[in-house]
Amino acid sequence: MKRHFFLLMLISTILVGCKPDEDILLEDEDLNLGGATSISGTYIQAFQQPAANLSTAELDLHREADKAFGDIFVTAPNTINGGLGPIFNQNACENCHVSNGRSPFPTDGNDLRGLLFRLSIEGIGSHGEPLAAPNYGGQLQTKATFGKTPEAQLTWYEVEEIKTFIDGEQITLSKPVFSIVNPYLPIPPNMMMSPRMAPPVIGLGLLEAIRESDILALADPDDADNNGISGKVNRVWDVKNQQTTVGRFGWKAGQPNLLQQSAAAYNQDMGITNPYFAQENSYGQTQGDALADDPEIDDITLKAAAFYAQSLGVPQRRNTTDPSIISGKELFMQIGCGNCHHPKFITGQHSEYAFLSNQKIYPYTDLLLHDMGEGLADNRPDFEANGNEWRTPPLWGLGLTKTVGGQQANYLHDGRAKTLQEAIMWHGGEAENSKENFSNLSKTEREAVIKFLESL
Amino acid sequence: MKKFYIFALALSAFCISSCDKEDIDDKDDYKNILQNLGNDVILSTYAELDAKTIDLVAALTALETSPSATNLEAARQAWRDARVPWEQSEGFLFGPVDQQGIDPAIDSWPVNQPDLDAVLASSNALTKAYIDGLDGTLKGFHTIEYLVFGIDGNKQMGDFTPRQFEYLRACAQSLEGATQQLYYAWKPEQNNFINNVISAGEAGNTVYPSQKAALEEVVAGLVTIADEVANGKINDPLSQQNADLEESRFSSNSKQDFADNIRSIKNAYIGIYKNTTGLGLSHIIAAKNATLDTKVKQQIDEAIAAIENIEGTFTSAIFNAIPSVENAQQKVRTLQQTIESEVLPIISNL
Repeated sequence: MKRHFFLLMLISTILVGCKPDEDILLEDEDLNLGGATSISGTYIQAFQQPAANLSTAELDLHREADKAFGDIFVTAPNTINGGLGPIFNQNACENCHVSNGRSPFPTDGNDLRGLLFRLSIEGIGSHGEPLAAPNYGGQLQTKATFGKTPEAQLTWYEVEEIKTFIDGEQITLSKPVFSIVNPYLPIPPNMMMSPRMAPPVIGLGLLEAIRESDILALADPDDADNNGISGKVNRVWDVKNQQTTVGRFGWKAGQPNLLQQSAAAYNQDMGITNPYFAQENSYGQTQGDALADDPEIDDITLKAAAFYAQSLGVPQRRNTTDPSIISGKELFMQIGCGNCHHPKFITGQHSEYAFLSNQKIYPYTDLLLHDMGEGLADNRPDFEANGNEWRTPPLWGLGLTKTVGGQQANYLHDGRAKTLQEAIMWHGGEAENSKENFSNLSKTEREAVIKFLESL
Repeated sequence: MKKFYIFALALSAFCISSCDKEDIDDKDDYKNILQNLGNDVILSTYAELDAKTIDLVAALTALETSPSATNLEAARQAWRDARVPWEQSEGFLFGPVDQQGIDPAIDSWPVNQPDLDAVLASSNALTKAYIDGLDGTLKGFHTIEYLVFGIDGNKQMGDFTPRQFEYLRACAQSLEGATQQLYYAWKPEQNNFINNVISAGEAGNTVYPSQKAALEEVVAGLVTIADEVANGKINDPLSQQNADLEESRFSSNSKQDFADNIRSIKNAYIGIYKNTTGLGLSHIIAAKNATLDTKVKQQIDEAIAAIENIEGTFTSAIFNAIPSVENAQQKVRTLQQTIESEVLPIISNL
């Protein structure tokens, strides 16, 4: 058998060698989407693997950090892991970031899994942030410790619309329309609500290591090149340094770095006070915990949780030499997807971790804000992002979404798209032309684009 | 070049006619292994877990109906018995257990003691449905453990309140609901997740594009549990010298938990579960590197033995018999390293 296998290898080498150009070899370069952090693996635990280029000491640190990410919090005072709530969304990081990927779309309003809602009223705060809704704050906490009341529950129904491709094939797009039930206090008039599914946590350290100048170079707020696409940098508040800076993380790039992103998640999602956000998420509301135990986690724990995400490996692409995937990638670029889903960066020097520095990465994002049209709009500004704008999400790991999260793990900010094709067809605004181009492709070509996305 | 190409074509024609049989045989080999890992290891473990939690419901119902020291001891034993298959399932914590959010309902830790006290002090009806709606830290194995064994592990009959008996029964019912959901998620006659493992690499399989991918999944699970035992479950209470960080402290069941976690590795590696003997990863490794195969089996047994040889209870050993704890930890670390750096590469290169 071994000998025959060798012969087969030989033949495929010959077949490849006979091709008139070197396309395959070139395409093969982006096998390692996350540079040297990339890991191989097409399985459910693929987002839970440490980066391939960690030193032994860093690997130990990663394993240590894994525990912080898995820690379950309970009501204070408790001998360990106290501090949950009093109001919260989930009691552990991994209950939203299921297997480090996207959670299944919730099946009922009692457990929203990885889905939460940001809230605000009209106006901006002193640092340009959205104005917290009276009695509700910046996020709807749908769970509470015993004796406290969840801020509200959610209910939703689906609205459908049909889109037709050029060859007559039709696709039904559905979108959940959410509404609040059982509010613990009257809902402030004109409260805005933005649904957000927890994103995968792979590759975040690499995104953090992208040079700011490289992001700024892609920005084109006034569409000076007149291509209909105006990438815009979000300018957000850096809590630690007390200054406005470039936003990178979150669906609207509302967070500048992973420490602050993690700290905000501890605080808002779990009700865990920390060095960045030392007041309970219910501060100024009616449901406090009346304990003088803040911060409930220290710098070390916070840093560990962030490091866990920073030091995960990005799965390699699959089937990169499949001709239809190669043509799918060409089509992806031809129809303009790559204008926002910017394929490639070389990371700069990461301020703390050398394994993230100087990596050739293929995240397929420009980390910029784009108007995505009415259909996707949350109509809620977030710093400089307006109600139509979203940050281009990275596409690495995209093809493993359902492998990791299960068949009900969906796409887009509110999990409305059950397939990648649906996700593409929801694009509008600056992506309208690309979306139109996609729907004008032949079925074979559309399938090739999807296959390319699945290879990521 | 042209000549060579023709030669290659001829070779390929030869291969197509002559390799087919062997290809299928080879594929079937892995399929047999995956089938055994799926049916005899994973599915049997989940079936056993569900059966044992049904027993736990019966034991805690008996304790509620007729509280007695005998029924209390029976309930404690039923808890320990149900714990075995759960710990033996932790080597393959992937798929429905996470995707359907089942793990938190079974094994959340620590117990939310302040809220548990508050629920017990309330007048809320303690039904299965009520418990189902609570956070994981108020139900599952560890909440039951806390209530049945007591915070110091020596709870007496007189320490129980009627509400606690009610809570325990409802909690066991809720736990059984979760283990049944998990079992049914895998069961062929129900949601058949097992088919993803067995049919890995076949057309229509949306999870595993190859048999190798499914085998890598299994190995990744083994690395994870070995890591968790050595660097989490043992290391946290040991390095911080804090018994509150020990997972099954109330029942003093930690050594048994750890050993069963390593048995989970053994079951998947060798392909046995209970009295069923089949094919496991060992079958593949032995063919590629017999020495390594022997080493893995030996390290598994050494790790189990070292855990069982920890002196006294784990709670006491982390203070009074540290070398025996460190020895067990080292043996598990060694096993983890062997699986990660020697077994996994072989599977990844299949």
